[in-house]
Amino acid sequence: MPAGGPTRFSVSGAIPIHSKRVSHPPGQPASSALPLVDLVDLSVSLGGTPVLSGCRLTLRPGESLGVAGPNGAGKSTLLGVVATFIAPTGGSGTVLGAPLASPRVPAVRPGIGWSGHLPALYPDLTLGENLTLNAQLTGYPASQGQMVLEQVGLGAAAGIRAERCSNGMLRRADLARLLIGSPRLVLLDEPDAGLDQDAAPIIDHLIRKTTTRGGAVLCVSHDADKLSGWVDRVVEMRDGRIM
Amino acid sequence: MKKRLLAVLTGVALGAGLVLAFTSPPDLLQGDFVRILYIHVPSAWLAFLAFGVTAAGSIGWLFTRRMSWDRVAEASAEIGVLFTAIALATGMIWGKPVWGTYWDWGDARLATTAMMFFVYLGYLALRRTTTDPRLRARRSSVLGTIAVVQVPLVYFSVKLWRTLHQGLTIRPDGIQMDGAMVSALLVNLAAFTLLYATLLIYRTALARMEEAAAAERVPAQSPVTVPRLREADA
Amino acid sequence: MRGGFWRSAGLIALRDLRVELRSGEALTVVFPFAVVASWIAPLATNASPLLLRDLAAPVYWLITLLFGMMIVLRQTALETRAQRRALALTGLDPAARFAGRSGASGLVLAAVAGTLILPVIIFYDYRPPSGGALMAPVIILAAAGLAMLGTLAGDVTIGLRARTSLAPLLMAPLAVPLVMGAAQSLESLVAGKSIITWVLVLVIADLGLAAAGVMSARALEEISL
Repeated sequence: MPAGGPTRFSVSGAIPIHSKRVSHPPGQPASSALPLVDLVDLSVSLGGTPVLSGCRLTLRPGESLGVAGPNGAGKSTLLGVVATFIAPTGGSGTVLGAPLASPRVPAVRPGIGWSGHLPALYPDLTLGENLTLNAQLTGYPASQGQMVLEQVGLGAAAGIRAERCSNGMLRRADLARLLIGSPRLVLLDEPDAGLDQDAAPIIDHLIRKTTTRGGAVLCVSHDADKLSGWVDRVVEMRDGRIM
Repeated sequence: MKKRLLAVLTGVALGAGLVLAFTSPPDLLQGDFVRILYIHVPSAWLAFLAFGVTAAGSIGWLFTRRMSWDRVAEASAEIGVLFTAIALATGMIWGKPVWGTYWDWGDARLATTAMMFFVYLGYLALRRTTTDPRLRARRSSVLGTIAVVQVPLVYFSVKLWRTLHQGLTIRPDGIQMDGAMVSALLVNLAAFTLLYATLLIYRTALARMEEAAAAERVPAQSPVTVPRLREADA
Repeated sequence: MRGGFWRSAGLIALRDLRVELRSGEALTVVFPFAVVASWIAPLATNASPLLLRDLAAPVYWLITLLFGMMIVLRQTALETRAQRRALALTGLDPAARFAGRSGASGLVLAAVAGTLILPVIIFYDYRPPSGGALMAPVIILAAAGLAMLGTLAGDVTIGLRARTSLAPLLMAPLAVPLVMGAAQSLESLVAGKSIITWVLVLVIADLGLAAAGVMSARALEEISL
């Protein structure tokens, strides 16, 4: 169930997001049936301790999948593997067509958007500088930074240093990072943590924007009910296995 | 079996080396102190050999990502640190009576050996702090690679330093050696090299077993359970 | 590689310099600490003027090395794991990240090292040799080398609890060619000799470190994510 239609989405107020379409560099037609994520019997052990085992997961264009599970189930590790941060120790997988841990991985990274537990912002830089740096490094004009901040309702806060922002503002700014350049694969780790009611539609918008353009979304949370409000399908994870 | 044969051969060679070290004639100038060199020179040779192999292992891992390179690098570094320590200690013990000082700042080899000792001590410390074998391989291969670049430069710069400043000490270069002394030294060099090969093979095998054991150690799958607050209340 | 290697490196360097300008840790914390250290050393030597003048140059380089390590390792501590991950997903070439961070650290370090000459002149009655301006490129080359070495040492020990003690241990012995090159350049200047050989040592050390940094950038990125 998509929790809210476009009418409910009122975060940015002035700027309708869909009109600001940006082209994405590693673009493939949305109709491509090739899975964006395909994990086969994948396992990960960290320091000899198995964290994931026998994970199978396929995400096709236009799909959004939620993974629910208790603390320590391996959800964040799964997200880290799909984000190409953590190399699998067993099994195999491809992300955006690149086999995991292969030399082709760095080339597909700009097509991945990830937001973790903690915001990836520099406390000494302003929100605007943070987002601008991200946009410029990804190959987009600096103005993209300001634009996405306005989309998440932080247009007026662009000049404030991140260290002076509230948790909720930081979460919003971190989600704004994923709006830069519309990544084909969006990965969210407990995205609503610290977000207020007004900001909740940002997650909805981000997921819908990605899937309607032929991208895919993987979202993990301990709360299965909340997940089912955001994504099409929810699976459960326990003891490092996808049930 | 081949491993055991090598170990036996090493034992025999070391025994022969020891006998020759004690039966060779004393030096005209150094007297019996020269016997220290039969341990010192082969140890120093092993130190350079071992760190050379560690460097090769590090670069090999960076390019191939095969764990076997990392195991060789690790094993060789451990042996290298041990023999560097022996080389430094015996060098100082020999240096005091012969050169009149424990530490000669003019000797580029000494400075380089000491620096290598510190670098690879750090290398081993770095390895100890990381439990995950793959992460450990990454970290240490990078350090091993930087060391390759810097160690030769240290040797060169200390040499340059002293040539520009005039030598301070009388170096026992160009001393003619008796035939029996040369053979004692050569046998010990060969014996120590065999010792290196034996230690390397055994240590690499041990590393492989350690990794296998670490992979087998499967802990309880889920350490997080449902809190039983009611029971605690009761 | 988006937008080119040097552009990315420049953006990263700009980020670090901006952060340093605002947090001021190197210039307002480490630098005063280094000045205090240079002031304390004479207390241990009874402050005999002749001895002090002899000590000036070695104390200067020792302090530059030790506090330089503090500066460089402080800079690397600035990136959290989330920040590194977000950076990697921009498609940033890890070698450009290395270049940018080393560049920024090198600039800060060169500024601090250059300014540290002042307390040495004051406390040690040190008289810079004629042609002392030639020391500027030497300081810059040494700072660049220390910055690259520190960036590498910081990255190698990323995520380790023993990092604050381990990184300097790894870095100090490998800094020998840099410290020797810099210190001997000054000695040569005082003796009225050519410094070109020692400058060459610094250049070779810097090139070697740059090569090691570029070669290992990808492996280091894998550790950091």
